Amino acid sequence: MSAPLPTVLLIEDEPQIRRFVRIALEAEGCAVLEAGNIGDGLAAAGREAPDLVILDLGLPDGNGIDFIRALRGWSGLPILILSARAAEDDKIDALDAGADDYLTKPFGVGELRARLRALLRRHERPATPASPLLEFGDIAIDLAQRQVSRAGQAVHLTPIEYRLLAMLASHPGQVLTQRKLLCEIWGPTYVESSHYLRVYVGHLRQKLEADPTQPCHLLTETGVGYRFQP
Amino acid sequence: MSVSDSATERFTPRQKMALSVLACTATALAAAPLSGLLDLANIVMLFLLTVLLVAVSLGRNPAVAAAVVSVLLFDVFFVPPRFSLAVSNLQYLITFAVMLATALIVGHLAASLKEQLRAAERREQRTRALYEIAGKLGGALNLVQVGEIVQQFVAGELAAECYLGIDEAAAAPPPWFDEALARQARDSRRSVADPAGRDALYLPLLAPMRGRGILAVHFPGARRALAAQNQSLLEALASLAAIAVERLHYVEVAQSSELKMATERLRSSILSALSHDLRTPLTVLVGLADSLFLVRPGLPPPALDIAGSLRDQAARLAGLVTNLLDMARLHAGSVSLRREWQPVEEVIGSSLKLLGSALGRHRIRVDLPPDLPLLRFDAVLIERVLCNLLENAAKYSPDGGEIAIVVRPAGSMVEIAVCDRGPGLGDVAGQQLFEMFVRGQPESDQPGTGLGLAICHAIVEAHAGAMRVDDRPDGGACVIFALPQGVPPVLESELP
Repeated sequence: MSAPLPTVLLIEDEPQIRRFVRIALEAEGCAVLEAGNIGDGLAAAGREAPDLVILDLGLPDGNGIDFIRALRGWSGLPILILSARAAEDDKIDALDAGADDYLTKPFGVGELRARLRALLRRHERPATPASPLLEFGDIAIDLAQRQVSRAGQAVHLTPIEYRLLAMLASHPGQVLTQRKLLCEIWGPTYVESSHYLRVYVGHLRQKLEADPTQPCHLLTETGVGYRFQP
Repeated sequence: MSVSDSATERFTPRQKMALSVLACTATALAAAPLSGLLDLANIVMLFLLTVLLVAVSLGRNPAVAAAVVSVLLFDVFFVPPRFSLAVSNLQYLITFAVMLATALIVGHLAASLKEQLRAAERREQRTRALYEIAGKLGGALNLVQVGEIVQQFVAGELAAECYLGIDEAAAAPPPWFDEALARQARDSRRSVADPAGRDALYLPLLAPMRGRGILAVHFPGARRALAAQNQSLLEALASLAAIAVERLHYVEVAQSSELKMATERLRSSILSALSHDLRTPLTVLVGLADSLFLVRPGLPPPALDIAGSLRDQAARLAGLVTNLLDMARLHAGSVSLRREWQPVEEVIGSSLKLLGSALGRHRIRVDLPPDLPLLRFDAVLIERVLCNLLENAAKYSPDGGEIAIVVRPAGSMVEIAVCDRGPGLGDVAGQQLFEMFVRGQPESDQPGTGLGLAICHAIVEAHAGAMRVDDRPDGGACVIFALPQGVPPVLESELP
C-alpha cells in the first residue's frame, strides 16, 4: 500500500454489520468512516474525500441508488454495494447507476477483502493502461494491433467478438451489466436481445477458455452480467 | 294495455251501443221542432256532428251504429213522407247514401285518431317507465335490489307478478314457474310464452357478454291477453335487467381482483420484510464469526476452530432461510420469471463456480452435446435448481466419486440430469420426493430438510418443465429435469 492509508466510507444502517466490516477494513489497512444513512454518507463523502465507498442498498432515508446517482454527479470514486440475495433488479440498477461491484449478503470477510483490494488497486492505476498489451493466463490482447493470441498462436475473432473481449478485458474484475454491454457493443436497440450477448460470450469462451463450461476468465454473474477475471 | 287505459273505458260495448243510439235519438228529438225552419241538408249536418262526437267519445263500432241509426232516423222523421221508411223523392236515396258514407268515414277517421292518440300516450308512458326503471337499475347496488325494482315495475305498470331468476343468486321460484320453459327460453335466447295457458311469459336475460338468467312474468286471471301485447315492453325490461346484473357482476369481479392484488402485495411485502429481518442477523453472525480470525492478538487455535464452525453453521442457516423464503415466494405465486434465451452450458458453468469448494472432493463431469439450442429460462432460478441438485449429489456421493451433469435433447424438451454415485434413492423415489419435507432416506445421517427438491420442482414447473428421479443401474441416482425447447429468436449472423 502507498504511504497514506486509504480511507473507506462505510454507509450501512445496521451497527453490527458496520462493526465486522470495520474489523475487516482495518485488517486490510484502511481508515474507516461510518455513516448510518444517505444524508450523512453524502456529507462525509464531500467532506472527507474517501478512496472508496461501501454502500448498503436498503437505508432508512432512501434507496442506495439515490446515493450513487448523487455521488456520480461529482465523483468517480469506486462504490462497492452490499445487497440482499433476492434483489437482482436492485443490483443491476445500482451497477447501471455507476456502482463498481457488489457483494451479496451474507458474505464472508475473505470475499469482502478480496473485492476491496481489487477495487483499490484499480483505482490507484491510471485510467488508461500504459501498455496496449493486456495479458492474462496464456492469452494476450494487443489493443493497438487489435490482435488476440493464445499461447503464442493467433486467435481469429470476429469484430464483435473482439470488441466484446476488449471491453470486458479493459474493466478487469469489474461487473458489467448485460444492459451496458449490449448497449455499448450492439447499440441501444439491442438492449432486450440478451441472447446475442450470451451467444457471443459462449463463442469467446470456446476460443479462449481451457474448459468453456467452467470458465476462469469470462465469468457469468447470473442475472446481472459478466465479469472479466484476469 | 296499461291499467290507466282501462279506467277510460267505463262502459261495456253493449252500453256504448245504447249510448250511441241514445245520442242519435236525442239529436232527432232536438232537430224535430226545427224541421220546419231548417233545411234538410242542415239537419243532415246535425246527425253527422252526432256521429263525429260518438266516434270521438265512444269509438269505432258505436260510430258505425250511430251512422246507420242516424240515416234511419233522418229518413223516418225528416224526409217526406215523414214517419215512414218510404221516400217520396228518389233523390233522397243519394242523400242517404252520401250521408251514410260520410258518417262512416268521419266516424272511422275520428275513432282512428283517438286510437292513435291513445297509443302514443301509452308509448310515451312506457318510455317514461322504462327510462325510470333504467335509472333505478343503474343505481342498484346488489342483485336483491335489481329483483325488487323489476318486481315493482311489473306490479305497477302491468299489475302482474314476476320472478327474476339470476344465475348467481336465484331465489326459490313461485309455484307458477315452469323450469322447462325457462330453460327453453334461455337456450333459444328468445322469449317463450306458456302454451299450457298458465298465463306466463319467459324472457331470457341477454346481456352483452352472455345470458345471465330468466325473467318470468305471470298475468293472473283475466289479464292473460296482456302478455302478448306487452312482449316488447317486457323484452326491453329483460335486457335492462340483464345489463344491470352484468354490471353488478363486473363490479364484483373488479372488487375481488383488487382485493386479490392487495393481498398479494401484502404477502410479498411481508416476505421481503421477513427476508430482510432474518438475513441481517445471519449476515452479522457470519461476518462476526469470520472476523474473529482477524482479531489481534490472535485467538488460540481451538477458539479459531470454534469460530470456523460458527461461521459454517451460520452460513448453512442462511442457506436454509433462503430455501424457506424461496419456497414461500414460489408458493405465494409472487415470483415473476425473468425468462431469457440463453445457452444451458452457461448456467451450468455459473452453478459450478458458485458451489466452488463445496464440490472440491468430487470429480465433476459435464457432458454436453454440441449444437444445443438456446433455451428460455430464468437463469437465477435454474442456477438455484442446479446448485441444489449438485449439493445433494455431493452430499450423498462418497469422496472422490464422480458427479455427472448430462444434457440431452428429448423430443420437444431438453433434459438435464445430475447423477451421483451415492446409495441411490431406493423405494421413496417418484413424485413424492418433490413434496416438501420428504427425504429419500428419512433416517439418513446427512443433514437436510427435504426442501431442496421441492424448490427445484416448483421452479421447473414454473418453467413448464418436468422433473423425475432415476436410480442408475450401476449405482447412484440421477435427478433429471427437462425444460421446453420452444423457438429461439433469430441471431443475425455477423459479417466475418
